[in-house]
Amino acid sequence: MDPTLTVLLYSSLAAAAAALGVLPLVGRTQVPKVWIGWANAIAGGLMLGSAHALSGAGVELGPFSVAAGALLGVAFTYGTHRVSDTEDLDLNRLADTDPTYGSKVLLTSFLHSASEGVAIGVAMVINLPFGIFVALAIAVHNIPEATVLCAVLRGRGVGLGTAAGLAMAMNSGQVLLAVTVFAVLSAAPAAVPPVIGFAVGTLVYLVLVELIPESYREAGPTTIAVLTSLTMGVLILLHGGLS
Amino acid sequence: MQLEPVVVVFLYGLLTAVATGLGALPFVFVRSVSPRAVAYSNAIAAGLMLGASFGLVAEGSERGSVQTFLGTLLGIAFILVTQRLLGEHDLEIGQLRGAGARRMLLIVIVMTVHSFAEGVAIGSSFAGGLTLATLITAAIAVHNIPEGLAISAVLRPQGATIAACAGWSIFSSLPQPLMAVPAFLFVDAFRPALPYGVGFAAGAMVFMVFVELLPEAFEHARRPAVGLLASGSLIAMILFQALL
Ligand SMILES: [Zn+2]
Repeated sequence: MDPTLTVLLYSSLAAAAAALGVLPLVGRTQVPKVWIGWANAIAGGLMLGSAHALSGAGVELGPFSVAAGALLGVAFTYGTHRVSDTEDLDLNRLADTDPTYGSKVLLTSFLHSASEGVAIGVAMVINLPFGIFVALAIAVHNIPEATVLCAVLRGRGVGLGTAAGLAMAMNSGQVLLAVTVFAVLSAAPAAVPPVIGFAVGTLVYLVLVELIPESYREAGPTTIAVLTSLTMGVLILLHGGLS
Repeated sequence: MQLEPVVVVFLYGLLTAVATGLGALPFVFVRSVSPRAVAYSNAIAAGLMLGASFGLVAEGSERGSVQTFLGTLLGIAFILVTQRLLGEHDLEIGQLRGAGARRMLLIVIVMTVHSFAEGVAIGSSFAGGLTLATLITAAIAVHNIPEGLAISAVLRPQGATIAACAGWSIFSSLPQPLMAVPAFLFVDAFRPALPYGVGFAAGAMVFMVFVELLPEAFEHARRPAVGLLASGSLIAMILFQALL
């Protein structure tokens, strides 16, 4: 198979997985608040595990470019939050029906998954099996992230089907960026280390700023710490087993 | 004068322990103890510890991912239990009570426990010859400095003196000379235990970051500030470890 098709296939699979995030909401109008915390923690652990795998591959190629790219990734994410006025936004307000809030949540969600598309794309350039591994990790993590988004959408009266569709649509940027980054980096391999860094920086910053803060109030620090460190550990174990 | 090899190993370990104390130095200039300064310090410590655990896990996985993972589980369980035990007693360290005191004690315990694995690394590195051992010891010594920084970042804002910060930092690394000697003498017996050890240390550190340092940081500082400080220090730590 053409490698670009592989990238397209797996990143689309990751985006489609988001639809499964609606499942916990089937048969109920809302999920318990602690579930939101758990979902955030599991998604965060998978993102940190992916960041670990990527940074490990990156520092072998060029530690300084990786570090510079990572700082850029952090700065970029901080900047987009700044510009969109979402830097302190609680993304889990289930009962907030303000229209501005809704559009901000959707925008943040779109940018979040687009950044993860960069991680998929650059991982695929490092080598396809590694890229598939990262794409699958992101696919699994898209499910709990979509659950949180769907819970917010359901709280605003959005139907189940529409919520699932929106969750997938918010991940369209992931596919687009995965394919674009893969194509560009295949032509310009010198840019691989800084882009690995960029992916690591955005993943870490997004976990710290978007996923973790709210989850502490929803499920308490101990539960969050257990879930985050365990999912991170399991992903690293799987990665170690594969390589 | 020719020193006994065992003495050399001990001295090398001691050197790395003393290097940890240097991490307290930047805090000579930090005197403010506002809740926000504590939060910023905890965010920096969180990034440094996450970065350190990234390095530990990578090293452990090379020797055995399953053993590293089992070690990680033990590390998480260890902090859970320690935290429970500390939580049940009304803690008092000097002027400090409650959560601040618990956090101080916990970080010293976590960092001390994680030094055992590094002591084993120093001791067993002598099996590869003195040059390798010197390189690894120098690497661990330098890498101890940000660990001392992480400890001081938690202790200093709580009102600990510079001497106390340096003292506890060095204390946390004392297992290095103590473990280096038996690891050197019984290198073949210790080597298989290393992935468990580094996994344990990484699990304990990551768990400590998420259960104590970040919640406290987010309580008293805005998210972007915590996010920027923690990810910045994480990136610095990754770079630092890659260069060593
Ligand atoms: Zn994510």
